[in-house]
Amino acid sequence: MAQEEAAAKAASRRGRVYVGNLEQVAKSARKILLGEVKPSAVGKLVDWGTLFSLWPVHFTTSCCGCEFAATWSPRFDAERYGALPWLAPRQTNLIIIEGTVTKKMACALRLVWEQMPHPKFAIAMGACALDGGIFYNSYNIVRPWEIVPVDIYIPGCPPRPEALARAIVELQKLIKEKGLASLWISKGKREDKPTPKLKEDPCSWWRG
Amino acid sequence: MEEARRRAEEALAGIYESVEEGKGFVSFIVPLERLVEAAEALKSAGFDHVKSVTAVDRPKEGVIEVTYHASSYGDPELARGIIGLTVRIPRDNPRMPSLSRIWVSAEFQEREVFEFFGVIFEGHPDLRPILLAPPIAELRPLRKDFVVKEEPVYRGPIQKVEKPP
Repeated sequence: MAQEEAAAKAASRRGRVYVGNLEQVAKSARKILLGEVKPSAVGKLVDWGTLFSLWPVHFTTSCCGCEFAATWSPRFDAERYGALPWLAPRQTNLIIIEGTVTKKMACALRLVWEQMPHPKFAIAMGACALDGGIFYNSYNIVRPWEIVPVDIYIPGCPPRPEALARAIVELQKLIKEKGLASLWISKGKREDKPTPKLKEDPCSWWRG
Repeated sequence: MEEARRRAEEALAGIYESVEEGKGFVSFIVPLERLVEAAEALKSAGFDHVKSVTAVDRPKEGVIEVTYHASSYGDPELARGIIGLTVRIPRDNPRMPSLSRIWVSAEFQEREVFEFFGVIFEGHPDLRPILLAPPIAELRPLRKDFVVKEEPVYRGPIQKVEKPP
């Protein structure tokens, strides 16, 4: 008799899907995928994806542009790190500042940076981008770190292509260890390296 | 060069005050009031364009020297030489007539001299800064009295190093 009842119960269950408490399930899924458990599964995926798709928009203002070109040439072939120079800032996530940034160019630099989607990173290349280089006392330059938050600096005048390739690898390590890309996405900003506040509008000459 | 110099001397006869010479370089110094006349004479002699317009600030003498380097595309004899046309204008009131009506290629170069030295070219069609952002151009950065930060030099005591035996 008990067996029959159990069989009937089983028969009545057939064809049903038990979902439980939907809210509870959504919360726990969110916890596992996005949230409190660090590093989260989606975050890891985002970081891993960003590592091998660092597409730099190159901001050539001086001679470091030649070294940049050489880095992606067949001899050094930086594309093996998954980095591909791209021209449109709206489809890139890395900006490489190659050389001196003049006051007029600072406007362009800031505009390009603001157009790039999250997560985004910046590399400053060469002595001029570090602290002015040979133009350290010029009336017409700005330091790039006053305009954009720079992650990696490459010294040299100009740096060798190996140095630029190493900078990309170091940035990959940084993203992997700190989970920078997932932090960007979950918070909408970089808390450890916020975009610097401008003392004056670099585009004031242009906006009039 | 010799041919260009001869033709320029012929064209500027009676106008120029003195000649400044260097290796492969000759410049005719004309008074300010006869500048336009001199430029028209050079233009009709076959110097059809200006290669560069440049200026030198001389604060001790109180003048700014503006030099036009004229040459020719049309005449192959003249094309080998570059003739300078120099005018000295007072430093406290740097005004001079624009030559961009005569040589169109001088237009942008005059804008450059304007922003770096503050020379005002009267009759210029569009006298705005060309390279610098306007707030910096107002400082007139290539004048000698514009001071930039200098490289620090060590002025302390110097220790003598004894030579190893």
